[in-house]
Amino acid sequence: MTVQPDIQDLMRRTRHYEFADGLRDLQLALMFGLSGAGIWLAFSPIWMAFLGALMLRYGRWAAWAGLLWVFLPALAVFGMLGVMKVLRSRWLWAQTGTVRPSRWAVSRRVNLISAIILVGGIAVGIGLRSLGWVNEIFVLRMLWTATGWSFGYTLVGVGRELDMTRYTRIGLVGAVASTVILLTPIGFGAAALALGLGWLLVLSVSGGVTLRGAWLTAGKATGRGSD
Amino acid sequence: MDPIKEIGQVDRLIHEPARLAITAVLSACESADFAFLLHSTSLSKGNLSAHLSKLETGGYVSIRKSFKGKYPHTTCALTTTGRRAFERYQRQQMALARHLGSDRRE
Repeated sequence: MTVQPDIQDLMRRTRHYEFADGLRDLQLALMFGLSGAGIWLAFSPIWMAFLGALMLRYGRWAAWAGLLWVFLPALAVFGMLGVMKVLRSRWLWAQTGTVRPSRWAVSRRVNLISAIILVGGIAVGIGLRSLGWVNEIFVLRMLWTATGWSFGYTLVGVGRELDMTRYTRIGLVGAVASTVILLTPIGFGAAALALGLGWLLVLSVSGGVTLRGAWLTAGKATGRGSD
Repeated sequence: MDPIKEIGQVDRLIHEPARLAITAVLSACESADFAFLLHSTSLSKGNLSAHLSKLETGGYVSIRKSFKGKYPHTTCALTTTGRRAFERYQRQQMALARHLGSDRRE
């Protein structure tokens, strides 16, 4: 190599590598989907009745089953890490090598603003309630909406820092969808489900499309036939 | 110090194009394996090995050798010294670029 390399381009491509196959998007989609569904289920009368019947039949320990939904998203995220490791080592990264990404994909500044958006959103909800302008259900929906705004901002921040327009777009779409939840007259559990399914949809589409592209590229590199 | 005079002080271990590419890649991650460095820098295997050895001798890169099944697997990471050296190099280059840019405007 005799020509000075474009180091900014090298650094950018290295940072992109972790996100270039879409698997992180799918992992987040799974987390949001399971979290939203779990919270909706936990607050639904059907689940309460089922839990009650379990406790009558099997005793108080059966109440622990009610906590399963708390652990399921975390278990799914860790399980997905294992799947990602296999997919990457055997196919997606087999020819191009492995990278351990930097711990701080998101800058502290973005994290701080994201936290301010979350807390600020909830504070606005509580403030409006104290003025009597909204009811309690609105405040509970604001919890989920503020979560959606906060996560949306994080994605926009990541998109700008890594120069990945895909995340900027997803962040904006998700934030708008989260606002729709706030204005829809639904309960706490339903709002959680709507938020979870909304992000599941957006991230699944993003991750799926990106993964397909990465899979085809990896297939060409290894000489596999395309699907 | 005058950016022009700093040219003489530039870190020659990093400044060499191939080693600059390697440190740039490693600065953007916790660690990368040999295959990724090969793919990113487009160096030959021998060339990459030689430059990594120089960086390791200079204390800028740590190299860990293991096996993935039957195949050897080499993982490289910038040391703290290496990261500081690369950041210092980047600052020098930016200062020089700003200095030259202001000279041109005058």
